[in-house]
Amino acid sequence: MGKVVGIDLGTTNSLVAYATERGPVVIRDASGDALVPSVVSVEASGTVFVGREAQRRLLTDPSRTVYSVKRFMGRGVDDVQGEAHLLPFRVGGEPGGVVRIGVGDREFAPPEISAFVLRELKRRAEEHFREQGEFDFEVDRAVITVPAYFNDAQRTATRDAGRLAGLEVLRIINEPTAASLAYGLDQKNRGTIAVYDLGGGTFDISILKVEDGVFQVLSTNGDTHLGGDDIDRLLTELVLAELGTAGHGLPAETVQAIRKAAIQAKIDLSTGDETVLSVDRSPALPDGFTRRITRQEFERLIRPLVDRTLTPVRQALDDAGLEPREVDEVVLVGGSTRVPLVRRLVEELFGRTPHAGLNPDEVVAVGAAVQADILISGRREMLLLDVTPLSLGIETMGGVTTKIILRNSTIPASGREMFTTGVDGQTAVDVHVLQGERELATDCRSLARFRLRGIPPMPAGLPRIEVRFQIDANGILSVSAKELRTDIEQTIDVKPSYGLTDAEVERMLIDSFEHAEADFEARLLIDARNEAESIVHATEKSLRRPDFAQLAGHEVPPSEVASIEKAVAALKAAIAGTDREVIHGATHALNDATRHLAEVMMNNSVREALAGRSVNDV
Amino acid sequence: MSAQPLTVRSATPPECRSCNTSVPVDEHFCPNCSRIQSLGRHGDYFAFLGLPRRLVIDPQELDRRFRDLSRKFHPDFYYNASPAERLASLERSSYLNDAYRALKQPVSRIEHLLTIEGLPMGKSEEGAATVPPGLLEEVFALNEELDEIRELRESGTDAATLAARLATARQPIEAKRDEHERALVEASEQWDRQADAPADARRATLESLRRLLLERNYITNLLGTIEREAAAHG
Repeated sequence: MGKVVGIDLGTTNSLVAYATERGPVVIRDASGDALVPSVVSVEASGTVFVGREAQRRLLTDPSRTVYSVKRFMGRGVDDVQGEAHLLPFRVGGEPGGVVRIGVGDREFAPPEISAFVLRELKRRAEEHFREQGEFDFEVDRAVITVPAYFNDAQRTATRDAGRLAGLEVLRIINEPTAASLAYGLDQKNRGTIAVYDLGGGTFDISILKVEDGVFQVLSTNGDTHLGGDDIDRLLTELVLAELGTAGHGLPAETVQAIRKAAIQAKIDLSTGDETVLSVDRSPALPDGFTRRITRQEFERLIRPLVDRTLTPVRQALDDAGLEPREVDEVVLVGGSTRVPLVRRLVEELFGRTPHAGLNPDEVVAVGAAVQADILISGRREMLLLDVTPLSLGIETMGGVTTKIILRNSTIPASGREMFTTGVDGQTAVDVHVLQGERELATDCRSLARFRLRGIPPMPAGLPRIEVRFQIDANGILSVSAKELRTDIEQTIDVKPSYGLTDAEVERMLIDSFEHAEADFEARLLIDARNEAESIVHATEKSLRRPDFAQLAGHEVPPSEVASIEKAVAALKAAIAGTDREVIHGATHALNDATRHLAEVMMNNSVREALAGRSVNDV
Repeated sequence: MSAQPLTVRSATPPECRSCNTSVPVDEHFCPNCSRIQSLGRHGDYFAFLGLPRRLVIDPQELDRRFRDLSRKFHPDFYYNASPAERLASLERSSYLNDAYRALKQPVSRIEHLLTIEGLPMGKSEEGAATVPPGLLEEVFALNEELDEIRELRESGTDAATLAARLATARQPIEAKRDEHERALVEASEQWDRQADAPADARRATLESLRRLLLERNYITNLLGTIEREAAAHG
């Protein structure tokens, strides 16, 4: 068996951690950085870059670079109309279907993009284990975190991403609950905790009761479209507006440069009282842009966003049957909780100083690693009992939602509903599964439609079909059905409304293997070109050296010089092509052609170096 | 769609799937091989949690049992078990969560007791259209008052006057609700004392519990109507 890790798959950054006997460890790169930007850049050649390199490419190759893909996981095209306009990549798909991300001539489902990030984390972890001298360094299983307020489709999309990355997803757990596990480690925690989690793209609030090592979530609420990204967008839009007409139709590179400057200004204002937002000059922005911004002005700008987090907090407290002051501890999670205004408003609401002892960027991954360890070790000291954030229901007569499992039910949870037929001899019934709190089916999230088939022909109203809805510990739904009079199990083909079918995931998995080969090929090609270019460069440099002129003619005959020049030209032509074998062949040919020259020059330089010295000095 | 009878119990005790020992329905684990048992047709939340069929429950005791059983059933701890055990763990955990939720609140606890004692509330009765006889007087007075308030609102009476009228209209209903809460507590305590009482006395207590719950639901709806009127005042 391979290694097991915990992964925080974030909107802005992702990271990976694992459990050791001495406690959880966050995996870092050589420079000590744990965060891998959740950015994926796909070159025209098919080569995929993930993380910092992809983030750099946002400024040079924005139309082929995807960020914040978490916002599109498990969502429909119609959901995301409003937010695509500032993004450099294409967001599309069939009306009523899932979102597709367009990069060049390729199209990806959001889980495919997330899978690139997961693969990078897997690779990082494997490298880490290899460096640790582990014999078995392969990472094949993971616990992946999601926002607590993610619906079924968003959770399923995350699980699909794991599968596509070659990981068995042991469990999907909620980010705030994962954070509470991490906090629970070093404290003999007992009491009521509120976890306020404002990340790059999502907001969650969870209220937990902790006793005897059981972390019981009492209620959860949130907004899956509210986070640091929105702060960045407000600042970016501010700059674009102040640029006036010059702000219209700027190339994506420039918009990304402005966004980068906005993010820096936001970070500066977490510690300083004012900063200068400055965008470098570029062809599209010949004068650049600089603007002083005070924290006061920044807070006025973002206040409505932060206020939007307070409604879910109050609702969660209400659902838990608690007053703000009855909460014993408030924990802040997510990079956006570094914003002082956020801290201040949370403190005001709860009437206590929030706890921020652990790194808010890393605490979720640490919790995921702890949960992964619980699952594989079977140790029972700690247990997480989470809830389903949204009610589950079905559409009944007149387009009304009938709830079957209520929100904030502890998971796993099950519910059942009886169905019958309306027409004599009817052998199938259609069922529409919904998630949400609203009365009308059209106001709730459509999760899936399925058809109960194989009902034995009977007079209308006589069949008694029991449909069982099971939400597992991942918060993901499965459905089974049985006709009770005949005890016949029904066939159910669930068609997810905003997700991928199993067949689609399988196909993507095969595609990704094919592309993995293409990606690998692309890398080899790049390596071959690099090697060839350095030889061409070295050869040309030698031919230009002052001592070459002396050598040419007597030690190096003109015919040899001519054949070297021919080999250089051939290699240059090969580099322009895409055939790796041809490049290799031409590289070898040039090597052969220059061997004698290299020897001569080597001897020559040794002679020069030794000239005028005694043997003893050498 | 109709309600599903919850008290179906197998006539013969089920067998452990792994060693074929016969296992009583209230046992979670096989007494012989200690494997987790599939849920079967269990219907009694009290028995499932190992509690007597009483209505006054120490909340801390209920929480403790819930945590203990969660530690025994939760899918986290069956990750490497056989598919049958994993399914049993999933079913048993789901059922435990239902049981805990139902027994935690006094009202849902009474509803569950009525169900397993053969006097289920039934979905259609919850918001009963017909006025319970014990509430006729209050309902009549309230409806008349609400009509008048609506007329006043439509003729443009100021919000303060309307709010005052509504508050007055609300008082008798709230008093009735408090009275019902006390009556429910009394009936619950009476039920708990009747463990050894004759069947007809126990039945009478259950019937009064059922009547009180129906009235309570009706009162809740009335208060909802008042809230909606208040909302219309802005």
